[in-house]
Amino acid sequence: MLGLMAARQAGLDDPARLRRAERTRRVLSLELNKDRDVERIHGSGINTLDIEPVEGRYMLSGGSDGVIVLYDLENLSRKPSYTCKAFFSVGRSHPDVHKFSVETVQWYPHDTGIFTSSSFDKTLKIWDTNTLQPADIFHFEGTVYSHHMSPVATKHCLIAVGTKSPKVQLCDLKSGSSSHILQGHRQEVLAVSWSPRHEYVLATGSADGRVKLWDVRRASGCLSTLDQYNGEKSKASSETANTAHNGRVNGLCYTNDGLHLLTIGTDDRMRLWNSSTGENTLVNYGKVCNESRKGLKFAISCGCNPEFVFVPYGSTIAVYTVFTGELITMLRGHYSTVNCCVFQPHFQELYSGSKDCNILAWIPAPREPVPDDISEKSLPQQCVNPAYEDAWSSSDDEG
Amino acid sequence: MDQRLAELVEELTTSGEPRLEPGRMKELKKICKSSEEQVSQAHHLLLTRLREEHAEMRFSAFQVVQELFARSHHFRTLLIANFQEFLELTVGIDHEQPLPPPKEVAQKLRRAAIKAVQEWHEKYGEAYKQLSLGYHFLKQNKKVDFQDVHARTVAERRREEEKQKRLENIYKEKVKRAEKEMEEMSQEIADTLTEMENCFQLLMPDPFNFGVNEIDPELSKQTSANEARPASPLSSQGELYPSSLGCMDDEQPCCSKDILPVSQCVAADGNKEVDEKPEQEELDGGTGSDIPFSGPALDDDDYQTFVRNHGLVSHKYTLDLEISTDIKVQENEDNTAIINSVMDAHKLLRNKFWPSVQSWIQLLTRAGINDDRLRCAIELKNKLETAMKKYKEIDISFKARKRKVMKASDEDDDDEDEDEFVEVPEKEGYEPHIPDHLRKEYGLEPQSPSKAPVAKASMGAAPLRSRPPLKGSEDELDPTCAAATLKLLRDKLPKLPSPHTSESATSETANLEDPDSKRRKLEERAKAPLMPFGLDLHYWGEDQPSAGKILKFTSEHRFWAPSEVEEEVENKEITEMLKTRYITFAGKFEPVKHKCRAPMPDGRLCERQDRIKCPFHGKIIPRDDSGIPVNAEDRAREEKMKFEKQAAQPEWRDPEFMREVEAATGLDLGSSKSNGKGQKKKGKKQKYPNLTDLKQQANTSRSRLEKKVFNKGAMKRVMKAMNRVDQRKHEKFANQFNYALN
Repeated sequence: MLGLMAARQAGLDDPARLRRAERTRRVLSLELNKDRDVERIHGSGINTLDIEPVEGRYMLSGGSDGVIVLYDLENLSRKPSYTCKAFFSVGRSHPDVHKFSVETVQWYPHDTGIFTSSSFDKTLKIWDTNTLQPADIFHFEGTVYSHHMSPVATKHCLIAVGTKSPKVQLCDLKSGSSSHILQGHRQEVLAVSWSPRHEYVLATGSADGRVKLWDVRRASGCLSTLDQYNGEKSKASSETANTAHNGRVNGLCYTNDGLHLLTIGTDDRMRLWNSSTGENTLVNYGKVCNESRKGLKFAISCGCNPEFVFVPYGSTIAVYTVFTGELITMLRGHYSTVNCCVFQPHFQELYSGSKDCNILAWIPAPREPVPDDISEKSLPQQCVNPAYEDAWSSSDDEG
Repeated sequence: MDQRLAELVEELTTSGEPRLEPGRMKELKKICKSSEEQVSQAHHLLLTRLREEHAEMRFSAFQVVQELFARSHHFRTLLIANFQEFLELTVGIDHEQPLPPPKEVAQKLRRAAIKAVQEWHEKYGEAYKQLSLGYHFLKQNKKVDFQDVHARTVAERRREEEKQKRLENIYKEKVKRAEKEMEEMSQEIADTLTEMENCFQLLMPDPFNFGVNEIDPELSKQTSANEARPASPLSSQGELYPSSLGCMDDEQPCCSKDILPVSQCVAADGNKEVDEKPEQEELDGGTGSDIPFSGPALDDDDYQTFVRNHGLVSHKYTLDLEISTDIKVQENEDNTAIINSVMDAHKLLRNKFWPSVQSWIQLLTRAGINDDRLRCAIELKNKLETAMKKYKEIDISFKARKRKVMKASDEDDDDEDEDEFVEVPEKEGYEPHIPDHLRKEYGLEPQSPSKAPVAKASMGAAPLRSRPPLKGSEDELDPTCAAATLKLLRDKLPKLPSPHTSESATSETANLEDPDSKRRKLEERAKAPLMPFGLDLHYWGEDQPSAGKILKFTSEHRFWAPSEVEEEVENKEITEMLKTRYITFAGKFEPVKHKCRAPMPDGRLCERQDRIKCPFHGKIIPRDDSGIPVNAEDRAREEKMKFEKQAAQPEWRDPEFMREVEAATGLDLGSSKSNGKGQKKKGKKQKYPNLTDLKQQANTSRSRLEKKVFNKGAMKRVMKAMNRVDQRKHEKFANQFNYALN
């Protein structure tokens, strides 16, 4: 690191390099830290998390009992240990609380004054953060699995909603009505995601195993349907033609530059697609255990040199490199199925929500406080916590 | 050192003891203390031990883990890094992956593990995030109550809940069925109960009517106490008696008069001899006659005269009436029908309703239903109980029940009737004249005038008759009185003599005709076998000319005619058939009484009871107490057999000797092989002899049978046999569509 800093100072390196290197290091050293805790509010499993993109300070969580909680992630106490406080929560006693499990929460991309939440009670609610009242409620015919707002849109204000019906609905926040219907899927739509690069491009994944890319300006049909065999007819049996996965597609995530799309399906596979050509890049991630029957939220790191993807893997979180498919590590800490994880880009922190009601914060481990020149003797004193000491009894016979 | 560590872990975990052996543990700790590598090695070994499907092994391993966890930070980090699995293996948080058997040890393991997690959390929870997470997970998600001794996890509870739910469903169904049944049956029960109740009413007075009598002693005591107003109590008494007795008299049909009246023991107060009889009689008279004894206002004069009339000195008597509760009903022809119906009803109650009501109550209580249904069932049960108790209390002494066989109305049968039964004229209805010597049979007391007054005059036909004529005539005027009926009958009697008596008279005369032939017939009948009716009997002694003849009709065809046909063919067999009878003689089964009694190696005698040959010891021969054959030749043969057997095995291979040699040298010389199957199994060495053998537990008769029945070979054989049967059917019925199809 010192070397990198020196090179940065000397102007030898690209200015982004130090940043990238440090970020990568931090992501690689993510661990469960005893100093960081998230307040336990939820009484049931956590389905969804979202961190607002403006400051990266506030996090929303949606529980399977309909409760939505807002956390403050910033540690302003100047102490190493910090428990993320819950600012407020839409609890069971709130008049406008979702009746059933909240499936997706999302901040309005440009401001923290609005957030959206969709639930199995067939509604999508637009909330005013300050008054904590729903500003608008959209009703649907089927349970809502997922919704998404474009993070880059400037000319439209559409929310894509994937429901139990195979039609993808687009809700316009400006007019407060469902403006579009995108037809093409044959079964329920489990995941939707706007491209972070093109404001009119939308990707949807459905239970029929297909992933479709849409241009919402074109009403006639989708741009393309992703094909896991890249059109090679010989490999594709007639059934699996034009499908992205052999099972249900329940997770979608664009890389930060929007050039690639990651999909995950119940066939225990994860696939990386070139989002402009719709080509399967054939990166092999191995088996990615996925037993979820609903949408699955996973996250991709931002600004690292090899980008990383954090995928819920049973009760653990698997960390892969995006472009090589290498399994870096498994983050073990949850005691039940992990439903979602979200990456905080500014401090390279990862938050994950699981069925065991816990939100765990994965924090980069602090640098080793042991430079080489410190003598061996001072080592024991570093162990501040007596719990870390061994307790072998001193006498030899005792053992 | 690594090897020693592995050995130690294995020894510690396979001891099967509830406590660890301190010596080995100390050694293990010492090894682990030496370096972190050893610690991780130990961790790895222990985790593999924990994964074994044996609760005892897991428990021991867990104890070792506990020891090391308290000592080594490195061990703690290693264990906590995979705390989920540790909890799965020790607490059983995954309900699809319960703790392995044996059950008691698994329970113990869970309790210990939960306790340990709590302790660890208190001590190290702050330092190890995963540990506290695990603790909270157990506490909040798995709802483990850390104070709970049983330490049941949610998984276990859920399993139990499921079981409970299943049971509940079953109960619900059963309750529904019972409810339906109850609805259907309660009406029936009520009917039977009322029937029984009515029968009781007819047979005997309702016990509640006696209640009036029971009040009496009190009243009379009052009398003695309250001298100032002597009249009114007595009058009330006088009022009570007749009313009670009268009501008994009036309400009871004549059959109830056969009941021995409630014996009233009169205990005189002090030494005053109170003759109760006259009073009683007087009262009796009051019931039947029109003596105005029930006047509510008896003035003093009347009272005085009353006292004088009855030869009483004063009225200060206390009358203690004891009512015996054992009521006896004697069956006689008057109440046969009633008693029969009571008996039937009782039988119905006892055999049908009682068990079903019982089962309803059981079911309802087990299903935890506590509403009208249960109340209703309990009510029914109580009713049944009282009815049955009453029945028992009545204590009907039955006549010996004779089964009357319905006979055809042949004359022969009539004859038989007379032979079998002693001449007893059929009695139905009232009989005016009962000879003295027969009175007992009728359940009546002997007609002795001296006793008549003792027996309560109000009851029983005999005393009635013994009454002075004046009173009788008075009685007869009362249409509700039995005497009236009696008179009515007596009037009618001469005009139409009862058919029974006339019948009996005629039969009697017939009987008298030939007592001799009758006796002969009797003897013959005793000898003759009983045969079922058949064709041969039907045509007994008759000649059947047309029997066995087959008629063939001549062809009436116009031009086509068969060759000469005999029109009548006599078939001997058919003729015979009408006269023959087949009697199958199967012989009689005789149970085997002897036993094999051959000496067995364990010193006992063979207990098998085969008829001829014991499957183990050959032909059964007479043997003495010690199992040695009685006959000399048998003994010789047995000796010879034994000798031959020994000769087949050389002497130096004497199994005893061989075993000793083997024990001494440690070589297997094959003694166990030659010694049959039983030894072979024992020879197989168990891997961990100290642990509970799970296979042994699974080795139930069911599993053994399963192994036999579901054996692949057996299944194949059965399949083949069934296919063969099927095949045969196909061949036989190939032309039928349903066999042709498959």
